[in-house]
Amino acid sequence: MPLLINREVVADNWSLLNEESFAPEATLSSGDIIVPYALYLEHKARLAEHNGQIALQVNGDDDLTELQENLDQFPMIAIDFPIFRDGRGFSIARILVRAGYKGEIRATGDIGRDRLAYMERCGFTAIQVADDQFKPEMLDAFGEISNFYQSATDNIRAVYHQ
Amino acid sequence: MYQYNEVDQQLVNERVEQYRDQTRRYLAGELSEDDFLALRLMNGLYVQRHAPMLRVAGPYGMYNSTQLRKLAHIARTYDKGYAHFTTRTNIQFNWPKLEEVPDILAELASVQMHAIQTSGNCIRNTTTDQFAGVIEDEIEDPRPYCEIIRQWSSLHPEFAYLPRKFKIAVSASPTDRAATQVHDIGLHIVKNEAGEVGFEVLVGGGLGRTPVIGKQIRPFLAKEDLLSYLEAIVRVYNLNGRRDNKYKARIKILVQSMGIDQFRELVDAEWEQIRDTDLKLPSTEIDRVKTFFTPFEYDQTAKDDTTLEQKLVEDDAFRTWYERNTVNHKVTGYRITYISLKPYLKPAGDVTDQQLDLIADLADKYSFGEIRATHNQNLVLADVKNSELYAVWQILTDANLARPNIGTLTDMTVCPGGDFCALANAKTLGIADQINRKFEDMDYVHDLGDLKLNMSGCINACSHHHVGHIGILGVDKKGEDWYQITLGGDDGSNAALGKVMGKSVASDEVADTLQKVIEVYVENRFENERFIDTFQRIGMAPFKEYVYAPAN
Ligand code: HEM
Ligand code: SF4
Repeated sequence: MPLLINREVVADNWSLLNEESFAPEATLSSGDIIVPYALYLEHKARLAEHNGQIALQVNGDDDLTELQENLDQFPMIAIDFPIFRDGRGFSIARILVRAGYKGEIRATGDIGRDRLAYMERCGFTAIQVADDQFKPEMLDAFGEISNFYQSATDNIRAVYHQ
Repeated sequence: MYQYNEVDQQLVNERVEQYRDQTRRYLAGELSEDDFLALRLMNGLYVQRHAPMLRVAGPYGMYNSTQLRKLAHIARTYDKGYAHFTTRTNIQFNWPKLEEVPDILAELASVQMHAIQTSGNCIRNTTTDQFAGVIEDEIEDPRPYCEIIRQWSSLHPEFAYLPRKFKIAVSASPTDRAATQVHDIGLHIVKNEAGEVGFEVLVGGGLGRTPVIGKQIRPFLAKEDLLSYLEAIVRVYNLNGRRDNKYKARIKILVQSMGIDQFRELVDAEWEQIRDTDLKLPSTEIDRVKTFFTPFEYDQTAKDDTTLEQKLVEDDAFRTWYERNTVNHKVTGYRITYISLKPYLKPAGDVTDQQLDLIADLADKYSFGEIRATHNQNLVLADVKNSELYAVWQILTDANLARPNIGTLTDMTVCPGGDFCALANAKTLGIADQINRKFEDMDYVHDLGDLKLNMSGCINACSHHHVGHIGILGVDKKGEDWYQITLGGDDGSNAALGKVMGKSVASDEVADTLQKVIEVYVENRFENERFIDTFQRIGMAPFKEYVYAPAN
């Protein structure tokens, strides 16, 4: 799956786990893994033995209060957009940045071209686009609108401070 | 009126090009139907029963004459020669061609207009009082704050995919003319005990299938905190509003289910975090935006006019119009003047290209070049000199824009209904005609006085039937159109939801039923008592009894 960082396609070493990855007979894949938060809580013990980095994937249904205290443990938080209409991820990203999180904030899930610039503005530092949704010309989307009225999580200041 | 600077202009220009490219890719088959759907909705383009429908933003109801001429040109060139003003002070084109929409948007951008966020689950056009800045009883002109909200909410990166659409209305008078209590957020400009001006904030109002009156979340908010507080509310809503059921997704449902107190706690906790950020509004910014709304240079000699008095005595038709369709201006010698978009037997809110051109000319000649739209689908020339009212009336009369019915029974707010709208349960336009025919006698209608009649073709309530003094809702009964009647609604300062009078009536009985309702009112009213006041005094029972009395 193409991964966009700084508006370019880059190599991705992370693999995203799901329920099946944790089936009793399955062996956990090695290397750097992204684990959905619910599965992480459920399989903490097994994950403790993992050699490789562990990132979390969260979505709007997860209760993130506890996580916010331990953010620094994770090199990356992936925020999932289960369907494009679900805009909670934009707010979650902003809240993570506000909580001082310095790791990678990655968008996963249903990600269309029109949302790329908004994601960047809300503090996502990486955007993972599904193969069937990716087209190289998508990268143009970042620059289509060049100024904004309001401040967000990027360095743009509100229009009245510009 | 606000004028774009380079930032505003560049943004709408870029947006046009962005949409042009999206349309090109869609037509070339590179964008799927679904992907394009989301994109066109962000640009005000719906696809309806017959054709696409393009909704153009009228920021807090303000238009200038150049814009009206452009809208006339668009109606003529790209549409069927007419357009439609909506209950949220926007303007709609009903027959644009999908492939020409980018050109239409470019035309709009050339006169500082756009269709951004006029549909979709985002923060929509902010609305306000059509008398802003010219009415005696207002605390402060609300338009600068509307403009500040417009800028903050335009292309807000975090709030483009809310659970559902989000509407804000601002009012600055004790008399609420912006239906603020039935908006997602209602802002009332108020003065606190210390004499400072700020906002009372309401949240969680709305109509649709679950009508709710907004609740107070904050009695007083300082001006500098306006944007941070709005952002806190919308963020709490974005994170917590329901997304599993689109009929339960509005903020009103969230506020209802957790209760206003718990909702307030969440908002306050969020607000604490962002109050002292970039969102704090500098007073210099408020002052800068205010400069766009300073009062016009009114003619000091306007008050000396004596011709108006004379015309009022001489010409009964003029006097009738004057009494019904004009309102006191805060400057003596001027009147606020309505343009009625409720002519006899024509759809409410429709205007032709010629009428738009004519209104633009009138505005230039008699009202500082500005026009306002109202949430009851009429227009307003806010600043007409007494001495020129007669001329304005004559011109409006010739253009079929001077029906003296503002605020009366025939000033109906009516949605397009089954003739145009794919979601409708019943037709509305024919029923409006039926009512117009029944109540054709203007003297009678004037005698009935202030009466708000709102009719929607389905439960989505686009025409706010719940808050009409009389509300009519189209329902489908085994494939036939039937109409449910509610009484006692109000969208003003004493906002109330109408109550169902009884079983619904068949399509050919609507006007007769209304007639009976009116008879009960006339029978019971005190002198000068409005319909709604009589209703509140005597209650539903007498109406119900008389209307549903068995025929003998
Ligand atoms: C013809 C096509 C139209 C369609 C398909 C349509 C559809 C809808 C739907 C589905 C809703 C409910 C949304 C919700 O509750 O979240 C709604 C609400 C609304 N519509 Fe329309 N509409 C149409 C035309 C209009 C027109 C012409 C007007 C103006 C006269 C209008 C004004 C409104 C307003 C003011 C609301 C908000 C009611 C509220 O506060 O909940 N609509 N519309
Ligand atoms: S109220 Fe219903 S019928 Fe009328 S415009 Fe809205 S959705 Fe259509």
